[in-house]
Amino acid sequence: MSEITSSEQRTPPEDSTISRRRIEAAEKVQSLGSIIWEKFLVHRMAVAGLLVIIAFILVALFAPLIAHVTNLNPMAQNALHRYLPPFSTTTASSSQREIEVERFIMADAERAARLQAEALEKGLVASVRPEDALYDLAEMPGDELKTAVKKLSVDGAGDFRALTANFETYHLFGTDELGRDVFIRLVYGARVSIGVGIMVALVSAFIGLLIGSVAGYYGGWIDVLLMRFTDSLLSLPQLPVLIVVSAVSVEKLTEAVPPLGLIATPSNESIVKLVFILVLFSWMQVARLVRASVLSLKEREFILAAKTLGATDRKIIFRHLFPNTIAPLLVSVTLGVGSSIQTEAALSFLGLGIQQPTPSWGNMMFNALEIMLDSPFLVMIPGFLILMTTISFNYLGDGLQDAIDPKTLRK
Amino acid sequence: MTNYILRRLAQTFIVIVLLSYFCFYLMTLMPGDPVELMIQSNPKITSADVARLRDMYGLDKPAYERYWNWVTTIASGDLGYSRTYRVPVSEIMGPRLWNTFILSAAALAVALIVAVPLGVLCALRPNSKFDYIANLFAFTGVSAPSFWLGMMLILVFAVNLRWLPAGQTYTIGQDFGFWGTIADRAYYLVLPVMTLAYLQIGVFLRFTRSSMLESLRNDYVRTARAKGLSRDRVVWGHAFRNALLPLITILALSISSVFSGATITETVFSYQGVGRLVYESILGNDFNVAMVSFMISVSMVLIFNLVADILYGFADPRISFR
Repeated sequence: MSEITSSEQRTPPEDSTISRRRIEAAEKVQSLGSIIWEKFLVHRMAVAGLLVIIAFILVALFAPLIAHVTNLNPMAQNALHRYLPPFSTTTASSSQREIEVERFIMADAERAARLQAEALEKGLVASVRPEDALYDLAEMPGDELKTAVKKLSVDGAGDFRALTANFETYHLFGTDELGRDVFIRLVYGARVSIGVGIMVALVSAFIGLLIGSVAGYYGGWIDVLLMRFTDSLLSLPQLPVLIVVSAVSVEKLTEAVPPLGLIATPSNESIVKLVFILVLFSWMQVARLVRASVLSLKEREFILAAKTLGATDRKIIFRHLFPNTIAPLLVSVTLGVGSSIQTEAALSFLGLGIQQPTPSWGNMMFNALEIMLDSPFLVMIPGFLILMTTISFNYLGDGLQDAIDPKTLRK
Repeated sequence: MTNYILRRLAQTFIVIVLLSYFCFYLMTLMPGDPVELMIQSNPKITSADVARLRDMYGLDKPAYERYWNWVTTIASGDLGYSRTYRVPVSEIMGPRLWNTFILSAAALAVALIVAVPLGVLCALRPNSKFDYIANLFAFTGVSAPSFWLGMMLILVFAVNLRWLPAGQTYTIGQDFGFWGTIADRAYYLVLPVMTLAYLQIGVFLRFTRSSMLESLRNDYVRTARAKGLSRDRVVWGHAFRNALLPLITILALSISSVFSGATITETVFSYQGVGRLVYESILGNDFNVAMVSFMISVSMVLIFNLVADILYGFADPRISFR
């Protein structure tokens, strides 16, 4: 009896705290944001997509850091080690090492003398002539060299260590047609590909927002004109049009339209051009979407109230209509990033997108095409990354749509 | 109705004319012109020759004048001469168009056959494991870069397994007879059709699923169930028939995306179609071919869109043509 009561005494408090918590949770007023967030978390694939995207964006943002840590350079060519398979290591030949050491000695003879003295003193090398000490040191095979160099401690040892670290490079994904490391090019390619995708989606969202809200708000002939234009652009087969537009040379175009020269410099020419072209053909979906929601919004009371209070058209559009179109816009921007990345890759693949030596996932595949049979990895990896990124953005968009949609909200 | 069709036709025509001028103008902005190519291939050419050639081809005139010249020649039935293939443009276009048509039609058919039943099954069992996997399959199709997919298929089926050819349109220089020719063409079509269809499968599947889910929620479905109709009758006879309508719209919209996809697929598989012709002629500065093939492909898509809009009106009597 006493046991039962004790157990009864033990359980109720726990039970009541749980139920109280539940009641509190139910009573607490949830903000719209937290409702949407909770609903978003239910869509597991969308959450996974968000995580993948965050990871890729971090990699893209910290590309220089990754290059610094791994001691790799996306532009460094090596004609002797082209098309290496993944997981391979390249070592510099002895003549290459000799040249490097000679350059090192020439750059600062005093520093070299210090290092030479220390190396001999600590018995790291047994050179016949003392002048050869650094050369002999550099000729050592990989691991031996590393441990030996670590023992040097005089001023300037760090420089020598950095020099010898370059003698052996590990290529996680192998090398490309110019002997450049594929891994670090993919990292930098993420910058270009994802950057272009996000930029295009944002700019086209802005243009679509403007055109859609103007058309929807004013109606009449403005609406007819703008929407006819939008529809005819939408009905075009995208790729043939894009091919024609992207074959235009920027040089001739800046001759015809001089102000363009201010934005497009030779170094970023291909990227600016590509963003411009992709925006040109991707704002239409957003415009239609925004127009549809503005059409229903403008009949609502708060717009009437704003009008009665004497708000200008510009104020109504920017302050009252825009914030209310954010939700559907967010979904379409997310989906837009995925499709922009895909189109960028397709154009780069045709050789009309981002130009060498700037790496993008699309042009890396374009270059690897000829050698596809011998090193399929060069094609497989960038394509897989594009797939991963676009699928993540698509799932994210899908999840957002489910979370935002008020039809599912009511359940 | 006639009024509507006539007005849409006029609109389409205006779009085509505007586009042709736009395209013509862009081509003048492309690197290199025919005379520059002649200069490169002939070191002995003098500047007097260059001026004479430019005058002869009308390259020294402003773009709108050249455009007018081009339009009048086209209108007289002369499509011009291809510089790359050394034959009249009209001779190249016919077979190329036919090839693209076969590829696109086959891809669309395959996509519909695969996607519609899958989509309906998903809608019948939403959030099941089957739905989950089919969704992943669809998302992969929408997200995969089509050229990459094509290359992976080549690697697997053509290089490793050696079942199918890696490219080309048909076996050259052999006569198989009527059925043999068809079989030969089909053999070469398998991989390109798979590549092109996969993208559309993703789109169609997701669309069928959501439209079917929507229509299963309707009151008339509940009524049909309450009447005691069999499950199959309800699903296929009542829900599916109404879910089909929006599918026609998406089918019409997908024509232009199939055409875009065909450009890439044709390039990957070196399939002799119009899309690849547009791409190659623009890269190769083959002006006449580029203009004509571009205009034909764009017009075809626009006209198909128009036809689809009209058909949609027939399928759904609630739509009024204004």
